[in-house]
Amino acid sequence: MSSIAMQSLKLESELNNDVVSINVGGQIFQTTKQTLTQAGPESLLSRIAGTGSDRFVDRDPDHFSLLLSLLRSGTLPSKVKDFDLRDLIEESRFYGLESLLTSSLTNPSHFDGFALQNSSVLPLNGRDCPSVIASTPFGSLHVSHGSKITSFDWSLTRKSTILTQFTAVDSLLALSPDIAAAGATDFSGLQILDLHEGCVKQVLNWENSTRSGSTVQAIGSSGEFLFTSFESSRRNSNSILVYDLNTLNPVIEIGRNEIFGADLDSAIPATKLKWVSSYGLLMASGSHSGLSGVTGSIRFWDIRSGNVVFELKEKVDCFADVCVSDNLNVLFKVGVNSGEVFSADLRCLGSVNNDANDNSNPWVCLGGRRKVVNGKKEGFGCKIESHGNQVFCSKGGDIELWSEVAMASEKTSEGRVFRKNLMGRVKDTGGLRITNLAFGGNKMFVIRKDQQAVEIWQGLSRGF
Amino acid sequence: MADQIPNPSTLGRRVNLNVGGKLFETTVSTLHSAGPDSLLAALSNRPFLPGSNPIFIDRDPEIFSVLLSLLRCNRLPSATLRRFSIQELAEEALYYGVESRLRSASLPSPLRGIDAAIVDTIRPASDAVPSTFSAGEDGSLWIAHGGQISIYDSYLSYTAAVRTHLDDITSICRVWPEIAAVGSESKSGLHIYDLSSGRYTGSVHWTDQDDPRIFKARVSAIANSPDSVFVSFDCPHRENSVLVIDKSTLQVSSELTRQSGSAAKNTVPGKLTWLPETGLIIGSAVSCGAFGYSGYIRIWDPRSKEVVWETNEPGSGRSSRFGDSFADIDVDTDDSILFKICSKSGDLAMADIRKLGDDPWVYMEDTNPSLKEASYGENAVHLHCYKGQVFVGKDGRLEVWSSQKGREISDTENQRPEVRFKRNYVDQVEDAERGMINRIEGGGERLFVSRDNVEGIEVWESSNHSGIIPVSP
Repeated sequence: MSSIAMQSLKLESELNNDVVSINVGGQIFQTTKQTLTQAGPESLLSRIAGTGSDRFVDRDPDHFSLLLSLLRSGTLPSKVKDFDLRDLIEESRFYGLESLLTSSLTNPSHFDGFALQNSSVLPLNGRDCPSVIASTPFGSLHVSHGSKITSFDWSLTRKSTILTQFTAVDSLLALSPDIAAAGATDFSGLQILDLHEGCVKQVLNWENSTRSGSTVQAIGSSGEFLFTSFESSRRNSNSILVYDLNTLNPVIEIGRNEIFGADLDSAIPATKLKWVSSYGLLMASGSHSGLSGVTGSIRFWDIRSGNVVFELKEKVDCFADVCVSDNLNVLFKVGVNSGEVFSADLRCLGSVNNDANDNSNPWVCLGGRRKVVNGKKEGFGCKIESHGNQVFCSKGGDIELWSEVAMASEKTSEGRVFRKNLMGRVKDTGGLRITNLAFGGNKMFVIRKDQQAVEIWQGLSRGF
Repeated sequence: MADQIPNPSTLGRRVNLNVGGKLFETTVSTLHSAGPDSLLAALSNRPFLPGSNPIFIDRDPEIFSVLLSLLRCNRLPSATLRRFSIQELAEEALYYGVESRLRSASLPSPLRGIDAAIVDTIRPASDAVPSTFSAGEDGSLWIAHGGQISIYDSYLSYTAAVRTHLDDITSICRVWPEIAAVGSESKSGLHIYDLSSGRYTGSVHWTDQDDPRIFKARVSAIANSPDSVFVSFDCPHRENSVLVIDKSTLQVSSELTRQSGSAAKNTVPGKLTWLPETGLIIGSAVSCGAFGYSGYIRIWDPRSKEVVWETNEPGSGRSSRFGDSFADIDVDTDDSILFKICSKSGDLAMADIRKLGDDPWVYMEDTNPSLKEASYGENAVHLHCYKGQVFVGKDGRLEVWSSQKGREISDTENQRPEVRFKRNYVDQVEDAERGMINRIEGGGERLFVSRDNVEGIEVWESSNHSGIIPVSP
């Protein structure tokens, strides 16, 4: 470290004329041009660095000293606790440093699943409970409750609420901090909402053969595409439409099912869509609860050809929820009957499908001992989501954190090793049933049934 | 580097520094006290030209002023920790290369059990009830909880968590500074984890092809030495042994003893201590049944694999305290003293390991009248010897036996003085109500205490701050 520091110091002293003095609100600060250009070429500070001798900024010097420390070392000093975050954001906007402040306070790379603890609560006004939440990578959050959607900015200090045409939103996806795609299972059409203006930008509909409405079952997105799973209002046909994310023009329609007769499998629309970027495939899963139990399927679609690359048919202990971890190359599910978490290695799935087309079971129960399936739906309502290298599974009011143990190569005979931990302290467990989990920045967001608030789980961090 | 050390005449020379727009004036000797490799010492070696601009450093001036006063008077200004977090100071100290000075200045006062208070409780974020923990010499802490190991640095700030493949970790030992050896009561074998990378590096199992009873051996206690790790293993049918594991190869190099586990005097050692002075290994086992405590202390020489000394309690009638067998023992490795706590009377006894015989024990009776009402014979007694003091956890109560100043501990030549250690409570009544103490360990100038089914680990420190509290009118 000190050798690096020496180098930077040598540079500074050799270019001694690079020392810049700035008068902010009567207080003189000295720094270097290199430090100021950290702010980015467009920012006020870079422009100041380029000007001549009389550098005066008529702002509060205390806030400036915080932001200067951020420029110098990349972290905020701890005295920031004496200030209000909203004031600091305003100041950072003035200097053009908001993105630097954002990445210092809610950097997704600072996410540490083991350090997360239930740290704060965002209250929601009114009597409606949150139905679904959506987050952006840097931690802004949209919460739908009843017919309203409340948006929180990345710092979670500001919010705005808009009214939608839905009675309740069932699928919500944040396309940007201001734009979200929303749909409902009892309302026709996918709406692209401008949450800043509170208006509908565009409505996307699926033309089904029965000429009835098209309700939205699930929304997903990749870097370029928006995926929507539609079902006709008469519930006799369904399809997945792929839109261009920028123009919102339809690109391709995949998995169109028309039901004539009693073909149950094709009547199940996809209720979860997830882009698997490492394979370039779209995962679509859907299940149906009938007299003979819960059945469902998980399909991986190649959206260029519109073909299913592989498919898992779930007849025994069907999933309550599934997720794909890109980092781990593993598909996870919670069994609806057993309530256990299962994993399936994505690298083996192709071969599973080729040799038998169905019966070989790719799932490995992570709980170790498989519970006797007693017809109870232990896993009903469980949610599973992956983030980073870890998998988060809600069971009732508790959250399990599954992580892979990096074993030496000699142990590969056992397969991959996953272990769970119950998240939170004793006082956090056994709460109301968790209905949704989302991740953004260095935080995890949790909503619960009958609770008009969003829980924020965060590691102990410096700053706020 | 030698030519850069300035001669004494330049040590008093003044140096001007411009840190982030604020001017500081100090001397070469102050900057040099940071150590020869630090950035500040390198700066002070620059040729100084009168009238030239002060050396400019583009850092925060407020933190620099703290670190400069640290160099000047070797202590942190009292208000510092209210204004800056210790992590922040540590990062800045790393930049200037004065980290070792900060570390020594921010250490708590020397730990004295008679004047210690709980200063903090370290709680991991999830599964926060610790199963065991390990304290480092620098006051750092590894907490094993729910199959994870959470690492806290010497400032006790959270560094990282490592998930092991074990469901519960019941013994943990620092084999190297970053390498942990862990054992579990639910899974066989000793497992080695590299905590800096979070990777599993290997396992050691106790196996014997000739003896089918040796299988699924679980770790009961671990002791570390510079070359080997001593591990006591216990099989489901109670056969047990102490194995010596070579640290460089992670192979079993020898087996000290094999015991059948059929009686109290040959059950698995629950505590192992290696004596650096003699290279001996001390093992002890205690069990508590309907007729009170019973157990043994045994000392092996790892070179000859033979038992050097042993005692069983309740043993023959030779002991002066028949019927008052020990509830726990611990070893003061610096002074080679063995301590035991008597289960009935609660008295502490000590024995000089260099002069062990048939009845080497010197008993120290309790003379503190405030402790007279305490009743004994409870199930949870934990003894931990640290810095010449003996800490005893009984149920929820934390006591300390400490010696009076001025008396040499080891002068047991002719007469045995009746009282050399005195007993006091460390805690207060409300502290004891938090739960049963299940582990005490000292590290740095801190004492760490964990309790049954209580989240987190208590940190006890001594301080010379009075902590005066103003009474509101």
